[in-house]
Amino acid sequence: MKWSQFFGTSIGKKLLVGATGFFLCSFVLVHLAGNFQLLYNDNGEAFNAYAAFMGHNHLIQFIAWGLKLVILLHAGIALQLTFRNRAARPVRYAVNPGNQTSSWFSRQMAIMGSILLIFIIIHLKDFWYLFHYGEVPTVTYKGEEYKDLYQVVQVAFKELWIVIIYVIGMIALSFHLVHGFKSACQTFGLNHVKYNGLLNFIGVWIFGIAVPVGFAIIPLIIYFK
Amino acid sequence: MEHYNMNLNLKVWRQKNKNDKGGFENYQVPGISSEMSFLEMFDVLNERLINEGKEPIAFDHDCREGICGSCSMHINGRAHGPWAGTTTCQLHMRAFKDGDTITVEPWRAGSFPVIKDLTVDRSAFDRIIEAGGFISVNTGNAVDANAIPIDKDKADAAFAAAACIGCGACVAACKNASAMLFVSAKVSQLALLPQGHPEKESRALNMVAQMDKEGFGSCTNTGACEAECPKQISLTNIARLNREFIAAGAVSK
Repeated sequence: MKWSQFFGTSIGKKLLVGATGFFLCSFVLVHLAGNFQLLYNDNGEAFNAYAAFMGHNHLIQFIAWGLKLVILLHAGIALQLTFRNRAARPVRYAVNPGNQTSSWFSRQMAIMGSILLIFIIIHLKDFWYLFHYGEVPTVTYKGEEYKDLYQVVQVAFKELWIVIIYVIGMIALSFHLVHGFKSACQTFGLNHVKYNGLLNFIGVWIFGIAVPVGFAIIPLIIYFK
Repeated sequence: MEHYNMNLNLKVWRQKNKNDKGGFENYQVPGISSEMSFLEMFDVLNERLINEGKEPIAFDHDCREGICGSCSMHINGRAHGPWAGTTTCQLHMRAFKDGDTITVEPWRAGSFPVIKDLTVDRSAFDRIIEAGGFISVNTGNAVDANAIPIDKDKADAAFAAAACIGCGACVAACKNASAMLFVSAKVSQLALLPQGHPEKESRALNMVAQMDKEGFGSCTNTGACEAECPKQISLTNIARLNREFIAAGAVSK
């Protein structure tokens, strides 16, 4: 079986979704660590310096464009599989078992993923596009001029509707990752009684709860400050 | 358990043939004993339909001992009904109460077309087995038992996977109509044993390719298959199939 055939099979496609999913999991950790600098009481110096570094370092920029490609690949292949999966049952059941046989989260991956994709587009437009291609006020620290993304964020999160969109986005992230991390592990064959407890903990508590809560408290803190 | 009789409302899927659109028919079924099996309840109803000169309801059954994998039926939204680890023939009417309405549907999957009423064509599974669910053996006398040493844990895991009766409840229960639990059980029972090693790689690749070709959906690891499997085949088999497939794909030409 050639690689082109291998990645054309259902399992091959799932491996691509899982691998890109793992990469996106690692990305949210780095992104969250950077975002916490928004909560420093330094008038944005640390965050703006960090944003300037991330925006100008060539390696980071290469990864950033790769990241957008990975998101498109993850969503594209997952949607393709979803449509195929729906087509596999042309006549639906009159009675469905609901949560009796599977968790609600595990059945909503495509819905939550789609909400996340829409959220990511809004999010990129709000900050990434504005930072790189829009008009951003500047600020000077120790004689050096920086784009004041910190201020842009502070202004945005004083708007209630923006905060609501971000909290909804993080709820979708939570529901997506509660199942997503473990599911990707299973797709890669990582299922062993000695490690399942750890993988479950990482999937549910770290990616499913801690990370989305960490992201969501930033707009909430800024809004209520 | 105390014996009781019940009157039931049955909502059964009737479909003349593969091309018929089909629809639900309602039947009042009085005086059903709690000690009957679910299929015996259908026998009672069918006797009556035959006496009335009507077409009896077609459904699959054979051993009625829970080991052949013939019976199917999606009962109130559950493959093989509400009991865990049970085939429809071993589901007993004490699972229901007097006055219950029971909805009975055939397995729903594009790869399992309805033949008639509750009977579906599961030959897609046979074609998956033909693609690689076998081992090569020398002809002649049977080899002595225990001639090849096998690790006890692996023998047990292979035996647990081999308990799969190919009924298709995994496909029926899966929201994607995926056959991964079936295929993984069939791959695992052979991959775990030394006898299965010569065809290890081609088996994983060919059976997965055939599974896709039959039009089954892909697995999203919801676990509904494991919850509904009458033989309680474990999801660890799906992880093993994934490992087998990755390893085989990496070295195949």
